[in-house]
Amino acid sequence: MTESSSTTLAPEKVEVQKGWGGQSLKRKEDKRLLQGEGVFVDDVKRHGMGYLHFVRSPYAHAHITRIDVSAAEAMEGVYGTLTGEEVAALTEPFFQISSVPGANIKDYALAVGKVRYVGEAVVAVVAETRELARDASELVEVDYEPLPALVDARQAQEPGAPVLHDDAGGNLMWSGLYSWGDVDSAFAEADRVIEIDELHFHRFNSTPLECDGALVEFNRGVEQWTIHTNNQFPGFAAIMMGPAMQVGLDKLRFVTQDIGGGFGNKITSHPQLVVCCLLARKLNRAIQWTEWRTDFHMSMSHGNERWFQETKVAVSSDGTLLGFKTKALDDAGAWLRYEPLGGVIWAQVTPGMYRWRHIELEFTQVATNKAPVSPNRGYSRMQHLWFTERIIDIVAHELGLDPVEVRKKNYIRAEDMPYETPNGCVYDSGDYARMLDLALELIGYDGLGARREQAKANGKLLGVGIGSTLDSGTNNFGQSRMINPELQFSGNNEVATVKLDIFGEIVVTLGTTPQGQGHETTAAQVVADILKCSPDDVHVRAGHDSYWNSHAGFSGTYASQFAVTGLGAVKGATEMLRDEIFKLAGAVFGGVPAEALELADGGIRIKESPDAFLPFMACGAIINANNAGLPEDLDVTLNCRYVYRPPFQVPDVEKKFGNLTLTYAAQIHVAVVEIDPETGYYEIVDYAAVDDCGKRINPQIVEGQVMGATAQAIGAAMHEIYEYDEDGNLLTPNFYDYHVPHALDMPPLATGAIESPSPFTPLGTKGMGEGGGAGIHAISAAIQDATGKTVTNSHNPYQRVWELLQ
Amino acid sequence: MDVSVTVNGTTYARDVEPRKLLIHFLRDDLDLTGSHVGCDTGNCGACSVLVDGVLVKSCMLLAVQANGASIETVEGLSENGELTPLQQSFNEHHALQCGYCTPGMLMSATALLRENPSPSEDEIKKALQGNICRCTGYWNIVEAVKAVGK
Amino acid sequence: MLLREVEYVKPGSVAEALELLAANDGARALAGGQTLINVMKARAASPDMLVDLNGLPELKGIELASDGTLAIGAMTTYTELMRSAEAKARPILGEVCATIADVQVRNRGTIGGNVCSNDPTNHLPPLMVAVGATMTVLGAAGAREVPAEEFFLGVYMTAVGPGELLTKISIPAGKKDGFAAVTLGADGTCLANAAATVNGSVRVALGCVDAVPVVVTAGSPDGIADAVRSAGLDPPSDVHASAEYRLHLTTVVATRAAEEAASR
Repeated sequence: MTESSSTTLAPEKVEVQKGWGGQSLKRKEDKRLLQGEGVFVDDVKRHGMGYLHFVRSPYAHAHITRIDVSAAEAMEGVYGTLTGEEVAALTEPFFQISSVPGANIKDYALAVGKVRYVGEAVVAVVAETRELARDASELVEVDYEPLPALVDARQAQEPGAPVLHDDAGGNLMWSGLYSWGDVDSAFAEADRVIEIDELHFHRFNSTPLECDGALVEFNRGVEQWTIHTNNQFPGFAAIMMGPAMQVGLDKLRFVTQDIGGGFGNKITSHPQLVVCCLLARKLNRAIQWTEWRTDFHMSMSHGNERWFQETKVAVSSDGTLLGFKTKALDDAGAWLRYEPLGGVIWAQVTPGMYRWRHIELEFTQVATNKAPVSPNRGYSRMQHLWFTERIIDIVAHELGLDPVEVRKKNYIRAEDMPYETPNGCVYDSGDYARMLDLALELIGYDGLGARREQAKANGKLLGVGIGSTLDSGTNNFGQSRMINPELQFSGNNEVATVKLDIFGEIVVTLGTTPQGQGHETTAAQVVADILKCSPDDVHVRAGHDSYWNSHAGFSGTYASQFAVTGLGAVKGATEMLRDEIFKLAGAVFGGVPAEALELADGGIRIKESPDAFLPFMACGAIINANNAGLPEDLDVTLNCRYVYRPPFQVPDVEKKFGNLTLTYAAQIHVAVVEIDPETGYYEIVDYAAVDDCGKRINPQIVEGQVMGATAQAIGAAMHEIYEYDEDGNLLTPNFYDYHVPHALDMPPLATGAIESPSPFTPLGTKGMGEGGGAGIHAISAAIQDATGKTVTNSHNPYQRVWELLQ
Repeated sequence: MDVSVTVNGTTYARDVEPRKLLIHFLRDDLDLTGSHVGCDTGNCGACSVLVDGVLVKSCMLLAVQANGASIETVEGLSENGELTPLQQSFNEHHALQCGYCTPGMLMSATALLRENPSPSEDEIKKALQGNICRCTGYWNIVEAVKAVGK
Repeated sequence: MLLREVEYVKPGSVAEALELLAANDGARALAGGQTLINVMKARAASPDMLVDLNGLPELKGIELASDGTLAIGAMTTYTELMRSAEAKARPILGEVCATIADVQVRNRGTIGGNVCSNDPTNHLPPLMVAVGATMTVLGAAGAREVPAEEFFLGVYMTAVGPGELLTKISIPAGKKDGFAAVTLGADGTCLANAAATVNGSVRVALGCVDAVPVVVTAGSPDGIADAVRSAGLDPPSDVHASAEYRLHLTTVVATRAAEEAASR
């Protein structure tokens, strides 16, 4: 039996980087995590803390006619409650990103007057123990007047459809028309126009194993909250919570340490955090909130469900793709928590990996009585890239062409890079054709014909499919103005501090909130390379804390950017520190110029006479405790804070044109499926994934991300879906029915990598945490190949495959 | 109800409600927060521990059922902060990312290796089938366990 | 995730367990807990008292009689059954148990618990019906033997009444058995399953299609699919399979189980 995974590098030699960057250093994080000594939010305890349980709506859509908490409050051990009415009195509605009509909806931390999805939080109960809070929640009386539920986005704008938000005057939340190139001419000149009636990308998310949670304390004297939580984008949470609670952002201290997975799904917990804050103040005690699996499935961060309707593709008969038109209908669920940014974020990858120039996309986002949508790994690009890949394979199928050849014919080429897309985004670097070749080699593409025959002899259908995906990283938040021109956001940033302590210890703080990406380790590698020491000498603080003053407006870990923004900040801060060490040493050695000095062996010395050596410990001691006699104008603190700011302009909002992301990592996946035609049951029997994220600081960590994303894609393609019945009940509210892959479900995996460094980033790196959506398409394509039938859905459970074959 | 439980060699006597799950007893009453909760239907295995040498999901056992038992959790694997060969292998093979499933994985792997010191890949996957991971895709975890095989 | 208040008792004997169950209306037997504890977490059912059957030697053990009959204690775990030399007399038993969920569940979950919960997607109810098992039900009035075909009465309902316990499952000798299922992922929940034995003709017990296992028979495996189709089945529809698809899967797994049984 072949090894379950093997890693091969690309045939050509990857530039060997001297130093720590480029080495697969073992992770610093592991020691504590392997011993069960990580600190996840539910591990944090405070004396006398109250445990919070949410009373949730059993209805998808209903008026709330009465709430009575008196029985619950009377129960022994209950500390108190919070209702929507109180929330509405104490807070302003959350800021809406959307322009009208979405801008008009009023979103509070608890349901006010109405519930709009099953599982929506209505009342919060706090008690002495978890169990008592749960018991007390059963004593809360809520009367509802049920309303018809809207569960299909395609019906959201039909006359008579139930309306979720009267303030918005209908279920339309946001719409926009994107059009670039000369779409009409392209279609007029095309040899063929291929029409695709409807493609559907389904609703699911990454179900991080740890659910959301918080422990919130309120310091009455200084009116400040300390929010221990696993929210992965505290910058965003603060911006949403501050105005709602009408407090300055410095009154909201966010503390995270270890986070059990995020994948974007831990960005929009600010409503629950507001509830915790209000209760911490009201009840004068720390509030502990644990989200249970079912709560998460019912209420948190579903990925965008999107239809692509009336798609038309202009092609030449030789398979050159000229352009496409489509209508994208996006189901946002009951509230816009990070939406409608999904309405523009897809445009980071408008043409996918392909050179077509004439594109029109009409984007419509509507509300439905389902859990609110917010970012999920590959946020809004995954949907669009699956769509472009579907076009490739459907066009190839229609024209009787090889999907490999159609891709290669249409891929943007390495020599085209940096490549400006029709809407002004700039793909920094990449070589997709070479990646595809490598992936095909890894899967043994030439031998697949024989495998197909073998499968046929066994009564099975074998199919192979390709998925190519771009992982656009480091957002330009100016794109939000295409959603709402009045927004005052643009650019991006991340912060790091690096200092030498009094005993010479190198201490780094990050603004990021890692959930397993190994930030402590890769940051240490970068610092060690600059200061010429060992990563073991670099202490990177675990997690995130607003008290460190190591954050800015966009700080957090999301949107594939740490390798650029986080490490860019680390590099900047370390170089500042390095320059200060040189200045200090120069002064201490009596006026020696910087060129005559060098870093080595954990200190700094005169090149020509290395005995003149100042260890880091001496540097730290001098500045912190022994600084008499230093030149007055010596501007050295050895405590350096750097804000990395990527080079962005504000996009042209009217033309919807401009650079929306700084880097474009890529992944190309190939999946081989074997279908039992009698049942539709199928397995992934072979798999290859090739990644290009520019310079890899820690190749093993990069490969880990590729593997994890692959597994998630397999789960999403085969099983995972948030499916609702016609009354708006979620049919997959836990891991029993929402099936995620387990160890036995994993195919053999071969991985490969090439490095196309980014010309735009401080280290030539690209963020790459989200690129696995390729797997969803590879499986769609493999099923199409095996069955000979057109696949129009991203979710392909056994029944759908069987139905394709009937 | 009074219970007496030995965990990682230390015996604890506590008064607990019958309804308290063993996982909550470990985490909340004994402050052994290394074992985790990842679901509410007994599917994810993040709570896996050894009870009298038998691998179980501690979310499906009541604390009172563990009365008199000897329990091993992740905190008891290493000694004096020294990683065991299994833990080191996880580190070498990058078999953890967020680390949330890791304690459960280590307990399941420990149970396997005690019984089968040289497991095949298929045997390892079968042994880890009750432990969900969302970060790694399992491949590196399987490699890490295989590498410790004799 | 958090249980309602419940009393807990650990009886020292089966007799004591029966007394407790008879005397307390809201008492439930706690076997492996791999189903019941989850039901209680969801608060779908909340017994007033749990009578813990773990540690009662009378409910454990696997005996192989000289005529090949297996007597399996109701509190035998799946793992114990898989490891039992005696149980290898009827190999299908261990083979099927090995596909249930995962190691942790198999270490605690019991044969008795599986049949007494009678979830339609469980593996053992159809298997017990196919192999012609007999259940020993013990109550204050004594023990009675209930054939598997009469044991399963409805969803989560069996012939074990209030104040009674399943103590033993007896399985006659045989080797021509088969089991087939389509599951949600490897070793996952069954979308359709069937257990077959061949003893001259073919006898297949279908799970997943009704509240209790449904028996169909045919002269040979190729007749089974038709037998399934003409059995008047109305399978449930859920998020994993429509009624129509489930029925189709059932014809396939029933045939495969029958073919496996015939080939042994």
